[in-house]
Amino acid sequence: MAAPAVSQLRSSKTESYVDNKRKEDVRQANITAARAVADAVRTSLGPKGMDKMISTASGEVIITNDGATILNQMGVLQPAAKMLVELSKSQDTTAGDGTTTVVVIAGALLKQCLLLLSSGIHPTVISDSLHKASVKAVDVLTAMAVPVELSDRESLVKSASTSLNSKVVSQYSTLLAPLAVDAVLSVVDPAKPDLVDLRDIKIVKKLGGTVDDTEMVKGLVFDKKVSHASGGLTRMENAKIAVIQFQISPPKTDIEQSIVVSDYTQMDRILKEERNYILGMIKKIKATGCNVLLIQKSILRDAVTDLSLHYLAKAKILVVKDVERDDIEFITKTLNCLPIANIEHFKEEKMGYADLVEEVSVGEGKIVKITGIRDMGRTATVLVRGSNQLVLDEADRSLHDALCVIRCLVNKQFLIAGGGAPEIELSRQLGAWAKVLHGMEGYCVRSFAEALEVIPYTLAENAGLNPITIVTELRNRHAQGEINAGINVRKGQITNILEENVVQPLLVSTSAITLATECVRMILKIDDIVTVR
Amino acid sequence: IYVLSDFLRGQHLFSHLFSSRVSALSFRSTPLRFYLFLVKAELIGWQHIDFGFEWRCTSISHFGMAIERILKDDASEEKGERARMASFVGAMAIADLVKTTLGPKGMDKILQSTGRGQTVTVTNDGATILKSLHIDNPAAKVLVELDISKVQDDEVGDGTTSVVVLAGELLREAEKLVASKIHPMTIIAGFRMAAECAREALLKKVVDNKANEEKFKTDLMKIAKTTLSSKILSQDKEHFAKLAVDAVLRLKGSTNLESIQIIKKPGGSLKDSFLDEGFILDKKIGIGQPKRIENANILVANTAMDTDKVKIYGARVRVDSMAKVADIEAAEKQKMREKVDKILAHGINCFVNRQLIYNFPEELFANAGVLAIEHADFDGIERLALVTGGEIASTFDNPESVKLGHCKLIEEIMIGEDKLIKFSGVEMGQACTVVLRGASHHVLDEAERSLHDALCVLSQTVNDSRVLFGGGWPEMVMAKAVDELARTTPGKRSHAIEAFSRALVAIPTTIADNAGLDSAELVARLRAEHNKEDSNAGIDVISGSVGNMSELGISEAFKVKQAVLLSATEAAEMILRVDEIITCAPRRREDRM
Repeated sequence: MAAPAVSQLRSSKTESYVDNKRKEDVRQANITAARAVADAVRTSLGPKGMDKMISTASGEVIITNDGATILNQMGVLQPAAKMLVELSKSQDTTAGDGTTTVVVIAGALLKQCLLLLSSGIHPTVISDSLHKASVKAVDVLTAMAVPVELSDRESLVKSASTSLNSKVVSQYSTLLAPLAVDAVLSVVDPAKPDLVDLRDIKIVKKLGGTVDDTEMVKGLVFDKKVSHASGGLTRMENAKIAVIQFQISPPKTDIEQSIVVSDYTQMDRILKEERNYILGMIKKIKATGCNVLLIQKSILRDAVTDLSLHYLAKAKILVVKDVERDDIEFITKTLNCLPIANIEHFKEEKMGYADLVEEVSVGEGKIVKITGIRDMGRTATVLVRGSNQLVLDEADRSLHDALCVIRCLVNKQFLIAGGGAPEIELSRQLGAWAKVLHGMEGYCVRSFAEALEVIPYTLAENAGLNPITIVTELRNRHAQGEINAGINVRKGQITNILEENVVQPLLVSTSAITLATECVRMILKIDDIVTVR
Repeated sequence: IYVLSDFLRGQHLFSHLFSSRVSALSFRSTPLRFYLFLVKAELIGWQHIDFGFEWRCTSISHFGMAIERILKDDASEEKGERARMASFVGAMAIADLVKTTLGPKGMDKILQSTGRGQTVTVTNDGATILKSLHIDNPAAKVLVELDISKVQDDEVGDGTTSVVVLAGELLREAEKLVASKIHPMTIIAGFRMAAECAREALLKKVVDNKANEEKFKTDLMKIAKTTLSSKILSQDKEHFAKLAVDAVLRLKGSTNLESIQIIKKPGGSLKDSFLDEGFILDKKIGIGQPKRIENANILVANTAMDTDKVKIYGARVRVDSMAKVADIEAAEKQKMREKVDKILAHGINCFVNRQLIYNFPEELFANAGVLAIEHADFDGIERLALVTGGEIASTFDNPESVKLGHCKLIEEIMIGEDKLIKFSGVEMGQACTVVLRGASHHVLDEAERSLHDALCVLSQTVNDSRVLFGGGWPEMVMAKAVDELARTTPGKRSHAIEAFSRALVAIPTTIADNAGLDSAELVARLRAEHNKEDSNAGIDVISGSVGNMSELGISEAFKVKQAVLLSATEAAEMILRVDEIITCAPRRREDRM
């Protein structure tokens, strides 16, 4: 009814922000704390990023380059800083990689927000504009992406090695990258081609050797010895494997029981009975043709006794005891067999078959390997080696990241260039878009675009290049339409990054942008910290 | 003896003077009794104080100064003006704390827990903030705990912030009136009249679209969007409003939100959240059992699946040979098998147990081709029983008497990284599950709270379909009516009524303030607009001006507004009536250092 009058009357204070001191202080404090966290991990970004040494409360030392791990161990107290830690965790769950990137982007966005706030823009306006910008950014990224086929093994390997290149174990990326690709591809179910459950890939860490010795095992690996008394077997060909959930030891009831021995002859009899009992069990097992037993761990009684081991050895049955209950599902899936919970149900059809089960000496310890499994389930096992615990752990983390990268590609089959190319392109396109927008929005989107330049800037900085020259040149190249131009850290110059095989999954970039924005928006909207119970 | 007898007489006198008070207080310690005696002596101007008594008095002379010492150690008492001031200040402080979260541009708060883990919550939800606060001020507690925001949250689910802000404003106005020598009772009477009048004004303006299904649904959408616009979900409010409306419409009028299950899974973004018909259980299917069952008969149970133990301490069996031990073990196994057989006799193909199912029964179930789920959480099985129409069983002797649950399909689905079990096509058609996805736990928790608010409001609206506009419109309507009442009411009460109208206007003022707008200007314009007949004007926060609420589609449920109005008035009244605060001594903790 009063539409023209309204627009005319719109006061100049629209979207302006008047606030009292306390709220500003709280916001300032939050942003400063969050930025401090971001700055702490900033130097570990990129292939030439540095590692951090963390000495934990328990005196343990961790050396890592993985953003999520660093932040997790930092033990920050300030609530806003904690949110950044959470942020990197969520990136870890969504994409598995880019945990440092997401925090660095959030830090840069916060820096820009501080400027916007100080020029008197209302936080909710900034927050809404950031959201719009991030939606637009995802569109831009999707437009840039190159579709990839799962059969295109080479591209997958490339993206895995991009992820590995920034880690401590980067020199092994030629080994680990194809390994990760094979592991993931072997668990993809053709029926559900876009789903990968990383729990189907088991990583076994074993100290000793070097990362070079890391291998993918087509089969199962147990980080334990074969249980055997003297003369027991350690190698079995043409194995018939049974996974049992009962124990081969003297009987034990749930109700408390005691055996009353009244005279000496009874004692003899009891011993004999015990022997017969065990022998009976083993005979039953042997009758089915089983020659390898995997026994689930039980807290109630021993899995095997010396006596039963002796008989098992005589019956030429190889035993691996103390298999965790959580692993049973993985094992049965791999061996394509069923667990057996009672001796009565010990049937041939419940067993799995493998060509070889053997105990192998690895470094100081021994492991049990099961290979050549018939009708193997869709699982994979990776045996990671390392010369010391620190390297081993880091290799494990890096491999996990690489696996996640491949998983991302399976979920969303698109690749995007790395090396800062997508960020600078985003920055350019959003900058252009900002000019079309009206009011505060345009202003905020422009800040968003500027913030994204932090990634190439930091990449260059960490590589010891002159960040300003690099970023300006990069901007220039992108303005000329070379959307895949990025920083080639090895050569220290700008090249077409796609040709250099530096690629990453689209999902990593998009989720980094959306998650960082979401987190920054949340921090912006906070105006008070209340202590509660 | 003289002292003692005098003392006894004194106490008698004292209790005579302040009979009601004394009975309420308990004095145990002897020095305190002496002190009371002394007070009494002073009070009645009694000069006959024994020398010995005086000597005793000096020994406890430190009691002489602090009047609070009438009560136990650490207990205190505040009276009259001071008590009223304390309650006003406390209530207003609470109101001011949550004030900034009001409206679509309200800000969030970080709640930092001092407990273990120092968990951090980020929220915009008034109820959550208030619930978790440390509050010492009794009047503030009234606002938080006794009724207001809790009742508001439980019953209507939304408007908690509004209640507290309105109550705070009412008290602020009342304080001024008390300062100008108007009796609290007069103020209360005025407030009551005003509240009644305001409610009637709202009643006159409500829109009821129950008859027209199409329109009713748009109404619901509008309400959902309005509720969500002040929350974290505001960016995707279209999506979530639709989600909430769909979920509530499935309920077909019942307000039982139990059958709407909310599952939070970190990862993805809020937009990936979805509504799924049926029920989702966050558990795994046992090994070697079917992963997909059609036309399932489900038995929901809470039973121990290990051997039924003799529950007498020290019970044990004595045997004289190993073979017998083996026999007992076999017997135990047999018992387990019997139990499983009994369960299978129900003709089921899915068994969900609250407790663990051990390896042995699990294998038996697998052999029988029954899907067995162990260790489901309590909430989970109760809900599952509810939605599948089954009953939670714990004995299995009479298969006929156990009510089985049914559903069309059970299958394993994957959300994010986790595998879950989905029961679809359940008996209770209204059951559904909302799966929330979000960047972090903070986001998810907050999203759940927001969605819960929206669901509450919607389910209430389905029953009471009267709808009002939002954006400060109802407050202005009420303020106008109350103003008119003030003009026609003779006597001191009219001051109170006028004050009530000023407090009402404070809500649009706060909304405008939070959005960084010129509230004085806007509210004045709003008032002018409302002076015309049938105005739909409210504050349009997005453009920062006065807008037409019906065009902008900003609606609120009548029930929420009514609850806000009435509970705020009642709370203010309750606090106004207070003229003394007695703080009891805290209970001592023995184990403290």
